[in-house]
Amino acid sequence: MHIGQGALSRTEFIAAGAVAAGAAVAAGVIAGPVEDTDAQTDKDVEALQLLLLLEYTETAFYDEALKRGDLSGEVEAYAQAVLDQEREHLAFVRKALGSKAGEPPRFAFGDATRDPSQFAATAAELEDLAVAAYNGQATNVSKPTLEAAATVVSVEARHAAWIRSIAGEPPAPDATDTPMSADEVRQGLERIGLRS
Amino acid sequence: MDDLSMHRLDVDGALAEAAEPLGGVSRAGFLGASLGTSLALLGLGAAQAEARQGASDLDILNYALTLEYLQAAFYTEAERMGALKGRTERAAQTVGAVERAHVAAFQDLLGKQAIRRPSFDFQGVTEKPQAFLKTAVAFEDLAVAAYKGQATNIKAESALAAAVAIHSVEARHAAWMRYLFGANPARTAFDQPASKQEVTQIVRSTNFVTGNPSTKRKRAPRFTG
Repeated sequence: MHIGQGALSRTEFIAAGAVAAGAAVAAGVIAGPVEDTDAQTDKDVEALQLLLLLEYTETAFYDEALKRGDLSGEVEAYAQAVLDQEREHLAFVRKALGSKAGEPPRFAFGDATRDPSQFAATAAELEDLAVAAYNGQATNVSKPTLEAAATVVSVEARHAAWIRSIAGEPPAPDATDTPMSADEVRQGLERIGLRS
Repeated sequence: MDDLSMHRLDVDGALAEAAEPLGGVSRAGFLGASLGTSLALLGLGAAQAEARQGASDLDILNYALTLEYLQAAFYTEAERMGALKGRTERAAQTVGAVERAHVAAFQDLLGKQAIRRPSFDFQGVTEKPQAFLKTAVAFEDLAVAAYKGQATNIKAESALAAAVAIHSVEARHAAWMRYLFGANPARTAFDQPASKQEVTQIVRSTNFVTGNPSTKRKRAPRFTG
């Protein structure tokens, strides 16, 4: 990769996600031209790879459901609004990873992108998984990455509560959202339709 | 952008009522088994030990406790007023129980260093379903921004884990209340943080907080016997 590319993308990641990251951005710019190591820790990259997989899955899921055209009303409006936001999240995480961002995997969502009630149940599962994934990585990453990821996780939680509201499920069943490990998240994504 | 921010709330001062002291909120009574378990799983005990080491973590946890006091009191008063019906009433009950669990968790975490509950006057917004929902949306959106604003300030890892686990629940509440109000539950792809100063200023502007308990007696008690 280009020297400094990681630092640049990290700077943009922060700038897009946080208003009060001036000092961190300045530190990144100073460290940038030398090496990438200061820009993102190995753990940052590892965490961001997991979040990338998640954002790919979310984007693919909503995109396929809308293309199949079997959703209507409130559920369709939800899918459209959330797809737009997941695309922004995906671009955000891809940019943060720069050349370390992998290509989209393959998926097989089955009837979950066709049948409206299966769609709602799977969307809720996926959004809950996203919340647990981001929360699970919060203590693994550097502060700049945490600051950026924090702007995304609450939006995933909003999506989860939104689709649960539509489906008549409790939008916030617990006092805390339990975090999940990377392995648990991968297993969850595979259950939903991640194939490679 | 919509106009649900706290500082734009139309709180009708003319409806000011004597503030419910809310001192009767029993911690043990509201901490259901599942709530207690999920908080215990986060290792709040470990957070307590770590938090004692850093003065700033204590400040942050007390700041979080203040916001939780505010929210818990709001939902508790709404339940007592009995003006909410149907799914709004059920949402208020569920969210209220969770906010009280958050209060209890921070109180346990802080022990003797926990600040005391202020007194509140919600100026009638708990007695009208639409005003209730509008205020709930503003509170929850504010809580999300407030927790997010502290994420990178927290030093102890277990305190951070607890804060993020609560942060996303506040976001669920925000979306839920927005849904019930008929507002967009997720209006932007990225939720922005708010500083403690910003949050404090917004809360102050509502005049919902009517008094902060003093931590010490200012005068010696008078003995008449």
